[in-house]
Amino acid sequence: MDLSDRQCVERCRDGHPEDFSLLVDRYQKPLFAYLARRLGDRLEAEEAAQESFVRAFVALKKLRRPELFHSWLIGIASRILKEQFRSEQRRERTRAATGMLMEADLDNGPDYPLEEAIAALPETYRQVILLRYYEGLSCQEAATRLEMPLGTVTKTLSRAYGLLRQELQGRGSTQLAETGKINDELR
Amino acid sequence: MNCAECRENLVACVEGLLGDEQFRHCQAHFEGCADCRAEYAAIAALQQQLAASGRVAAEVSVVGPVMRRVRQQQTVKERSTIMSRLFTRWGLGLSAAAGAGAVILIVALAAPRAHATAAAVMARGAQAVANLTSIHLRGQMRTFPQDNFESISPDSPFCTVELWKQYTPQLEWRVEKPGRVAVMDGQSAVLYIKAPANMGYKVPGATPSAFDTEWLHSIADLSNTISNDLRHAKAQGWKLDLIEETAANGSRQAVVTVHARSGVPDDDYGKNHFLGNADTRRVYRFDAESGQLEAAQMYLVRNSGEVQVFELNEIEYNTPIEPSVFQLQLPADVAWVQDPQTLPDNQKYASMTAEQAARAFFEACAATNWDEAGKFMSPITDQTKEGLGGLEIVSLGQAFSSKTYPGRFVPYEIKLPPQVVNVRVANTNAAKRFVLTGVYDSKLRLQQDLKWSGEPEVLPNNQAYARLSPTETVQAYFDAQAKFDWVEMRKFTSQHDVEETKGQVETAQKMGMDMRKLMPVYKAVEAVWSPEQSAFFVRCQVTGVKKFNLAVRKDNPAGRWQVDGGI
Repeated sequence: MDLSDRQCVERCRDGHPEDFSLLVDRYQKPLFAYLARRLGDRLEAEEAAQESFVRAFVALKKLRRPELFHSWLIGIASRILKEQFRSEQRRERTRAATGMLMEADLDNGPDYPLEEAIAALPETYRQVILLRYYEGLSCQEAATRLEMPLGTVTKTLSRAYGLLRQELQGRGSTQLAETGKINDELR
Repeated sequence: MNCAECRENLVACVEGLLGDEQFRHCQAHFEGCADCRAEYAAIAALQQQLAASGRVAAEVSVVGPVMRRVRQQQTVKERSTIMSRLFTRWGLGLSAAAGAGAVILIVALAAPRAHATAAAVMARGAQAVANLTSIHLRGQMRTFPQDNFESISPDSPFCTVELWKQYTPQLEWRVEKPGRVAVMDGQSAVLYIKAPANMGYKVPGATPSAFDTEWLHSIADLSNTISNDLRHAKAQGWKLDLIEETAANGSRQAVVTVHARSGVPDDDYGKNHFLGNADTRRVYRFDAESGQLEAAQMYLVRNSGEVQVFELNEIEYNTPIEPSVFQLQLPADVAWVQDPQTLPDNQKYASMTAEQAARAFFEACAATNWDEAGKFMSPITDQTKEGLGGLEIVSLGQAFSSKTYPGRFVPYEIKLPPQVVNVRVANTNAAKRFVLTGVYDSKLRLQQDLKWSGEPEVLPNNQAYARLSPTETVQAYFDAQAKFDWVEMRKFTSQHDVEETKGQVETAQKMGMDMRKLMPVYKAVEAVWSPEQSAFFVRCQVTGVKKFNLAVRKDNPAGRWQVDGGI
């Protein structure tokens, strides 16, 4: 990846809005997976993903720590979800649809925080997870893309798995807490 | 293998990266170590969850729609007139494809060396125009004259598209095609859709581009385009070629070809209706000496083959432009598009589904309740009232989406209210038979000037046609049109009109309309002599049904569905 999240955000703020596409390209898949799992409908998830990115773009100048863009984006998406879930009727319908529409891949329950945990990873680890699982690259291909030895990729993955498991086991993360604060600023 | 060594190799083991021997050592360790076995199982489980999440999102791509909306935020684009909502003569509203995005020249990296060389040529082209004071581009595009600046209609004849752009002392520009014009005079940008629509849309500020003219601006502003887009190229996987040719005058040209892919699936409703949603081959010709862009062509690439949709055939650099070019003279009765405001009972409308909004809009039109209809569309013009007032809803279908459009499409079938059309006919020609020279609305406002490039020819059986009255002539014309008998139709009208009608019918059929059923029924009623125009006006009654897809979107501050096209 050419530009870090921080660089992308700064360029967008600096009169290069087209660079926002790099961030969209980078995070559209984990964001979509996060939304699809909760909404149970691909179309709605795609619309919510679009809306999340557009709101993020509009509010970009309020993002105090650009390196936390991904976490911040997930925070925006979760607020969009809350808006969508306001109607009890809708919630019931969505629950009924979950699993029916999204194949077995979505059988992890509506509150599964995997994508949130990914967003909370430091950029180095997140980058490898995104390439491996959302870009569908093998470890060797990821190593080539990142211009690093294969061993470094597996070590990075190993550390990323460890951090993810910590997050998923609810051991807490200063980064997630930080993200919460940032999101509070936007409310 | 001890626990520390095993843990170090766990990921490689899960990923299948270990050699046979190491793998066996790991397996052996697992058998005797419950902790490492549990650790392995935990990582494998996490990996499966990650892979499942990745699979869910495998086919997703929202970059295009998001960036279109981002650009809207930047340049305040044409919201309510993104598609042609004109009532065409035949009431087809053909060009209801999809939303638009700026075409950006994204260049890809299929062959790194070719890419680098071609990029260098294009960068040189950008350098050559870096200090322009003005530029004038003139090209030909296959498009409907009144439709969105970015819309393409591969079955239509070419029409002229021009850009005038002045960089100093302040940025000003004008983009024009026969049915619409956009002008930015340094203070604000105005889009005017010419009569019969007679609609205007104004956005404040010295915007660098607006109203879906970005693609043309990008040809003029090569430096911006290239510096932006080379950076975006990696992810796209487009192909780029470079060859050197000798032009007819002996000069050498560097020809860069960009094979641009929209990423829009072939079965998407919106695909190939706008340049930004189309798979295209774009050819840029640079003078090898000066590095200046000399010509450009765009070809629509479809499974059935390529069709040229744009040809840039005139470029003037630094030629002074008359100030009047950037001053738009508008009729006093222009209907201005208003952005939707939040209503006192906004929530009622904001909570509607697309289908409900479409039904509410059509019902308001049916009841000629224009205040209510105005909550769904702006502006409500006399043309709207005349065309839709008193309609009958036959059916409304389930809304569907397109990757190319930020709103929804709602299929509908309506019975159009009877309309009146006046057709001007004259027989002051060498063949001494009546022919059509213009089409007017019920209030005798010109809708279409039927341009004759020469005199009507004397037919072998000319006498039979010369005996037809004005009313009979017009009826025979519409009868021929209803049968798609283009040869017969040509006996009453210009070649241009025949080709345009034929193109519209063919386009409609390609979009799935059954034109045998949907063709409006015309009845020529009576002829009135106009001494001022030395011609007869034949009053006709038109009835028909319309079956199409209403485009609605709610990405506006009021959050209400607005009719955006497909009428």
